[in-house]
Amino acid sequence: MTSRPTPPYALRAGALGKRFGRRGAWALRDCSFRLPAGRVCAVVGPNGAGKSTLLALAAGLTAPSEGAITVLGTDPASARARVGYVAQDKPLYPQLTVAETLRLGADLNPGHWEPSVAEAVVRAGELDPRARVRSLSGGQRTRVALALALGKRPDLLLLDEPMADLDPLARHELMGTLMAQAAQYGTTIAMSSHVVAELEDSCDHLLLVGGGRVRLAGEIDELIEAHARVSAPAESADLTGHTVVESRTTGRQLTALVRPGGPLPAEWRATPPALEELVLAYLRNPQAAPLTPAEPADEAGTAADATDRTGNATEAAA
Amino acid sequence: MSALASPLPTAPGPLPAAPARSAALTRDLRWLLRLHRPALYIWAALVVVLAAALLWLAGPLTDASADAWHDYDACHGEGACSYYQDAILRYKNVYDCTTIALTALPFLVAAWSGAALLGRELESGTAHLAWTQGISPVRWLAVKLAAPAVLVTAGTGLLVWLHHHAWSAANGRVDTAKSWYDGLTLHANGPTTVGFALAGLGCGALAGLLWRRALPALATGLVATAAVRVLVDRLMPHLWPADTSVTSLRRGIRGVGITVDEGIVTSTGAHLPRPHCPPEDAVHGCTSTYAKADAVGFFQSYHPVSHFWPLHLVTTAVLLALVVVLGTTAFALVRRSTGGTARNRRTGVAG
Amino acid sequence: MVEYRIDRHSGVATYVQIVQQTKQALRLGLLRPGDRLPTAREVVEATAINPNTVLKAYRELEREGLVEARRGLGTFVRRSLGAAPADDSPLRAGLGAWAAQAREAGLDREDVAALFAAVLDDVFPAPDSPSGHADHPTNPSSKPALQGGDPS
Repeated sequence: MTSRPTPPYALRAGALGKRFGRRGAWALRDCSFRLPAGRVCAVVGPNGAGKSTLLALAAGLTAPSEGAITVLGTDPASARARVGYVAQDKPLYPQLTVAETLRLGADLNPGHWEPSVAEAVVRAGELDPRARVRSLSGGQRTRVALALALGKRPDLLLLDEPMADLDPLARHELMGTLMAQAAQYGTTIAMSSHVVAELEDSCDHLLLVGGGRVRLAGEIDELIEAHARVSAPAESADLTGHTVVESRTTGRQLTALVRPGGPLPAEWRATPPALEELVLAYLRNPQAAPLTPAEPADEAGTAADATDRTGNATEAAA
Repeated sequence: MSALASPLPTAPGPLPAAPARSAALTRDLRWLLRLHRPALYIWAALVVVLAAALLWLAGPLTDASADAWHDYDACHGEGACSYYQDAILRYKNVYDCTTIALTALPFLVAAWSGAALLGRELESGTAHLAWTQGISPVRWLAVKLAAPAVLVTAGTGLLVWLHHHAWSAANGRVDTAKSWYDGLTLHANGPTTVGFALAGLGCGALAGLLWRRALPALATGLVATAAVRVLVDRLMPHLWPADTSVTSLRRGIRGVGITVDEGIVTSTGAHLPRPHCPPEDAVHGCTSTYAKADAVGFFQSYHPVSHFWPLHLVTTAVLLALVVVLGTTAFALVRRSTGGTARNRRTGVAG
Repeated sequence: MVEYRIDRHSGVATYVQIVQQTKQALRLGLLRPGDRLPTAREVVEATAINPNTVLKAYRELEREGLVEARRGLGTFVRRSLGAAPADDSPLRAGLGAWAAQAREAGLDREDVAALFAAVLDDVFPAPDSPSGHADHPTNPSSKPALQGGDPS
């Protein structure tokens, strides 16, 4: 097996846009972001925000209408063999049995299929290998679909609402399996959900999509660090110089979620926002300026930048 | 990564690390046939049943019918005349049924290819599953079109040959046997039916790719195949130069076959459409009408039976060209909608 | 071997919970020098938290000199923490006297807890958190590496 050089970014999108039909509405527009390799990224946003479109573009299942997306350092079509993808409705061939479905995965991914991983996922769900896929429940189908995607041992795993059909126990167990993959192989994972809390503990990177655009992108720690929830006396508070995401005055009290442009006055009470709070504030206020990492520069510049950002990171599982 | 020999109990032996091209093809074909096993069985059953019916028709049924006709033709005048009418009717029924079935096959293929082969896969998302499980979209389409094309060609080819055989067996022996140029018989006897079936596969596939849903693709595939059938049927006589015969007014038009054009020949040698003959003149054989039109004879351009093969081969070639166009469009569509084949374009992220 | 239990609603950052539980295990003698901490893979498989969170906690423990990462082998305990003062230690007795005093002064349980926490914060400032955001490191861009895995 050839060793795969790990590019600094698992996903890089530049001015990415997609619309369905020549005159259709834009499902995704002007979308620029970078997802460093080895991260577990939450793709969050309300239903219909463009999350599925974004993941399908990354999986090379549909072509962008404008802009471009680079996957594992190459175009999505070339990267397909190294990408695992589970669509929102977990499509599987209903006429196959569970065992046959796994055999399909083994057969179609010669050279990089890890049967033990796929079988472990199926076994943990106590699925009968002889059961037909059409007889499975939604959660069981999710399990088989995840087994297929994981068995492929991808470098990048794209999961569209992976946990929606699962009960809390299965959710915890499968999330643990996903995290174990990330820990062991340095697999980059991007998974979407409209429930932030579902992903909060498992993800270290955030991509907030709203209204077909990227509203927030970056390391969750950095994003939270960049914001502050402040409360201050309404008459004296002056928010100029800070980017206001949301502000509300109740009586004499002003509370706001801001991106401080400089040091905040000492008399203001400032606390770091919770992730969910941050996400909701951006979704409630579509006019708030988005926060995404610096625009990707040309190839050379980006590579240098990438070394900066991951400078002290010795890459996955030595 | 040495443990890739699959421990799955059901796995068919260890997997090769780097399968050769042909091994990959066998693998893809095996899964295609597994996934569409019911369709494969139905197709095989259809071909077997129709083939058996055609063999029955060519042998015992034709003989019985010919005997009955022989008895019937031996009847002269009054008196008890016995012939086995059931044999005649049975031959006719089976002939009509098999011919209609053969005519319908391309539509069946179109409906299946639009709905089950492509439309449903795109609708349910299993196509996406295949594309992210090691089969590129272009390869996926190639396998999906090539394997059915081979099976359809083999099946319809065999049936057409048997139909021609059955038709020949009865030709000249059974009085009600269809003439070679009869609408349905003409195509059921030759390779155009294979062409129609392949065009049906192409129309259905394209409809499936365009609609990405099973039911609309089924309907569109059927309508498109019907349109191809009607148009090509109309076009067929013009695809090979017709013979032209000129006959005297007294002899009349005599040629038997597919007539392309006919009319009168004037004293100057011009070929004109047959003039309208009013009923009061028609009872006299239209003589005054023809005299008024300066007709000295009739012309007829038509295809005699000797044109059967040239007509069929040229028409089939036209159909195959159409199939190529449909197939190329389907590939272009898949390529464009999925962002191309691997490494066929440069993707740089602009700033 | 230590098993981490993550309480999502405690308000304490996940990596801090791992640090605290490791220290607790060291104090109670559940972990001794030379013991191997569970690999990141083992922890995340059981807890479904992000691997980088585990590695961040381990780095913190390493920074405090409690554990050391041996490349390709795992993370090992270097030294134990002094056992918690026994029930009859003078420190405990002093605290008991102070608590009794507080009750006499009319403080209820919550008042005492708040006061105690405030004093703790003064005397033992949270590491690396001059801004008081104990939950959020000041230098989050130095992402932890995914190590400690055990690829077969």
